[in-house]
Amino acid sequence: MKALRAELTKLTSLPGVWIAVAIGLVLPAGVTVLNASNSRSVPSADTGFRELAIGVVAAIVIGVVAISSEYLAEGEESGGSRQITTSLTAVPSRSRFLLAKTAAVAGTVGLLALISSAITLTATDLTSADVSIGTSDLPRVLGIAAYWIFSALLAAGITLVTRSGIIPLSVLIVNISVVSVSFLLTKVTRLAYYFPDLAGTHLFLRDSDGPVDLTPVAGGLVMGLWVAVIAGIGAAAFVRRDA
Amino acid sequence: MPPPFQNPPTGRGQGVVLRSDGPGSDVPAGWIALAGGMLSIHEVTKRRGSREILSGLSFEARPGRVTAFLGPNGAGKTSTLRILLGLDTATSGTALIDGVPFARLADPVRKVGAVLEGSGAHRSRTGRAHLRWVAAAGGVPRARVDEVLELVGLADDSRRRVRSYSLGMGRRLGLAAALLGDPDVLVLDEPVNGLDPEGIRWIRTFLRDRAASGRTVLLSSHFLGEVAATVDDVVVIDRGRIVAQGSLSEVVGDHGSIENAYFALTGGAR
Repeated sequence: MKALRAELTKLTSLPGVWIAVAIGLVLPAGVTVLNASNSRSVPSADTGFRELAIGVVAAIVIGVVAISSEYLAEGEESGGSRQITTSLTAVPSRSRFLLAKTAAVAGTVGLLALISSAITLTATDLTSADVSIGTSDLPRVLGIAAYWIFSALLAAGITLVTRSGIIPLSVLIVNISVVSVSFLLTKVTRLAYYFPDLAGTHLFLRDSDGPVDLTPVAGGLVMGLWVAVIAGIGAAAFVRRDA
Repeated sequence: MPPPFQNPPTGRGQGVVLRSDGPGSDVPAGWIALAGGMLSIHEVTKRRGSREILSGLSFEARPGRVTAFLGPNGAGKTSTLRILLGLDTATSGTALIDGVPFARLADPVRKVGAVLEGSGAHRSRTGRAHLRWVAAAGGVPRARVDEVLELVGLADDSRRRVRSYSLGMGRRLGLAAALLGDPDVLVLDEPVNGLDPEGIRWIRTFLRDRAASGRTVLLSSHFLGEVAATVDDVVVIDRGRIVAQGSLSEVVGDHGSIENAYFALTGGAR
């Protein structure tokens, strides 16, 4: 519990995390409002939820920053001092450290996803005349939370290996915002539909446009498996390597 | 079985307050450990790739004494301290604190305070926010944050971001974090590096006081003049091997000064 409280204090005192929180709250709701005023966008069962899928950027930033902040060198005159030395002298058990980190990231991102969903889906309900959001959408909201948490942990797992946020941040954000690598690969092989970012969307999207239609549970399991494998590799690297 | 209440032969460390050792210690029953905490490095070897950085290092740092770890840059001082703190793993050998590896300490923040390079803080946090999370990790009351800020002279700058700190302020912040748990052991890598003369004098007095209260201080340094004024014991390493160890007067021996001894032992100015 002490380690968890420390990790939560770390997250809430990093400006980068607050920027991510702001993005996570504003981006999906903003896109929803913009789309609603665009006459060419056709409302569907997924209106609001597709926008929330974009908001996963915030979750990815939090997952990356939670790890990369430990390894950010302080500056040349300090001889490359990094926070990880302080972290591991305060919490020497690496498994306990990672567990606390995981819980702090998952809790923060999960809460953010729920709040953002409430804002975005309220905006959807108010701005799209043809779409109404009700309590029956609650499982999909939980799907959004799971998708954001899984994405954050996936990003954190990759950053455990790279020890720098630059590569995972640029790759993952480009994958969401500019061009989806997974989506391009679906043109080559159907297996790409089982990539974590695509499989995970079945947690909350209902109008599947691909040939592979997974149930929400199956989509969640596929993405969860990816998270387990990649975060597992990251954790194994972290436990074995010199800090 | 060793007789009870017997202190290890620690010279100046004798006569300090005794207390029973906490759970998790490997000290044999019947022994009462000193308040300080014994640091024992035994046959530590570290290889990185094909390069041997440390070759069978053995030494101790005892309660009630300030031990200096001397050697040229790249001799392996920082690597040894990192192994002691469980940050790096030794290829072979053991590094123990009261008979326990660092990773298995029951209450690390109250047992050992460490300052390696720089501040050990993230640049975007304020000094106070950095200390707050370390306090949370160690289960140290929040009020202690203000105490250590006051102690190291950072109280007025605690709400500034670490990025704006000078090198010396960063060092003070690192020391403040190390002192949060009022630990039995202090491990300091180049503690006077970046401090102004006032700070150097302050830390000298401070470390002497820690030792006088029966605590253990292990510091690495290449400021030889500073060492002579502060320390009791000296361990000199060169290229991963110990070339001399003992009390300050033993190591100085016939060389006249620690500086002469140092250059004689480490092969002179290379």
